[in-house]
Amino acid sequence: MVRFQVDLDQFEGPLDLMLHLIKEKKLDLFNLEVDVLIDQYIDFIHGLETTQLEIASEYLVELATLIEYKSKKCLPVSDLGLDVADYEKDTKDELVRRLIEYQKFKDITQKLQVRFEERQLQMDKPSDSLYLNEIDDQYHYYESDVYELIKAMEKCIARFHLSHPSQVQFTKNEISLEDRMDQLYHMISADQMLYDFEDFIKDIGSLNLFIVSFLAILELVRQGILGIESVSDQKITLKLGEKYGKPE
Amino acid sequence: MENPNKSILEGIIFVFGEDGITLEQLSIAIDYPADLIKILLDELITHYKHDDRGMELVVFSDKYKFITKPYIRSYIERILTLSKTRSLSQSALETLAIIAYKQPITRIEIEEIRGVGCELMLKKLAAMDLITETGRAETVGKPILYSVTESFLDLFKLMSLDELPHLPNYEDSTEESQLFE
Repeated sequence: MVRFQVDLDQFEGPLDLMLHLIKEKKLDLFNLEVDVLIDQYIDFIHGLETTQLEIASEYLVELATLIEYKSKKCLPVSDLGLDVADYEKDTKDELVRRLIEYQKFKDITQKLQVRFEERQLQMDKPSDSLYLNEIDDQYHYYESDVYELIKAMEKCIARFHLSHPSQVQFTKNEISLEDRMDQLYHMISADQMLYDFEDFIKDIGSLNLFIVSFLAILELVRQGILGIESVSDQKITLKLGEKYGKPE
Repeated sequence: MENPNKSILEGIIFVFGEDGITLEQLSIAIDYPADLIKILLDELITHYKHDDRGMELVVFSDKYKFITKPYIRSYIERILTLSKTRSLSQSALETLAIIAYKQPITRIEIEEIRGVGCELMLKKLAAMDLITETGRAETVGKPILYSVTESFLDLFKLMSLDELPHLPNYEDSTEESQLFE
């Protein structure tokens, strides 16, 4: 026999479970054989007791009601038994009424879910706070709770994300001093000529590269590989140094 | 010739963004009768419904605003990191539905329909600004009454609660056969 593999977690509550049982046993909700349903329900809960340590109290409350109903039915109907008959009928009607009511909301929930999911895909733009400042000023201060703060915070975060496109990337292209010295050495040794210092640095895009270049030039000058010449109009030129050779 | 007020309305609604703007506010802004504005807005709505528009003009909770059509999102995701779409659990949806149809409603009444306790769920929904306390019932213990908020209407694309889909009425027998198919 296939083990009955159903977990309470998949139900929203005892009513949901009952609707599931009705569907599974192909019972008619509108002409409900309550006894069959009750037996199914009781069996189900009993079946779970061995495998699931905790059964939510709601299921047990419902179970107790059903067992009470069943036991009352077993009592012989005395001459004064009108009360019992009424009780039976009331309990049954009440159960059916609740099941039908719950089924309605289960159905409508599916429709709402569709609307909800579509709305999730539709975006709107934050109102232009720049222009709306005047309106904001008219808001009165009022007593608030922590949830208001959470809501406000979420709104801020959402706006922050919107204003920071993911495409913006900050990448650091770092080059070591040694590599830069090598580069400069190769440039100069290939051309064997004077460089205007300003020309030399004009293509440098980042501050980082600029600093490394500057340090590289200083180091090359210190080692005598590069020479510096300054002419009258404060123009600085780079030339090959006295100890021209590969940097150390 | 097109009524020039129409383009003005369009511009105003655009600026108000996600907050939206009511018919009354628009009427004050352009000093034009509300019923005539309504006609122009309906024209705009039809205009934006057309396939060659990427936005639509909607009225949620009586507020007009522009939102993108659903298929636009996948393109936006290519260039912006979007927060994940929200999701609501089955129990959250059920609770919301019950409140929306029965409001104002007490916690006990909701629990009776659902058959399970929902105190925590109500707190969660309130924190999400989907429901709010709207007074107290004049019964023993004066229990809190809950109603849905404007955000709820927005989230489920409703102009007002009147727009909620009809609750099925199985008792009227015609729909019985469709149940549990």
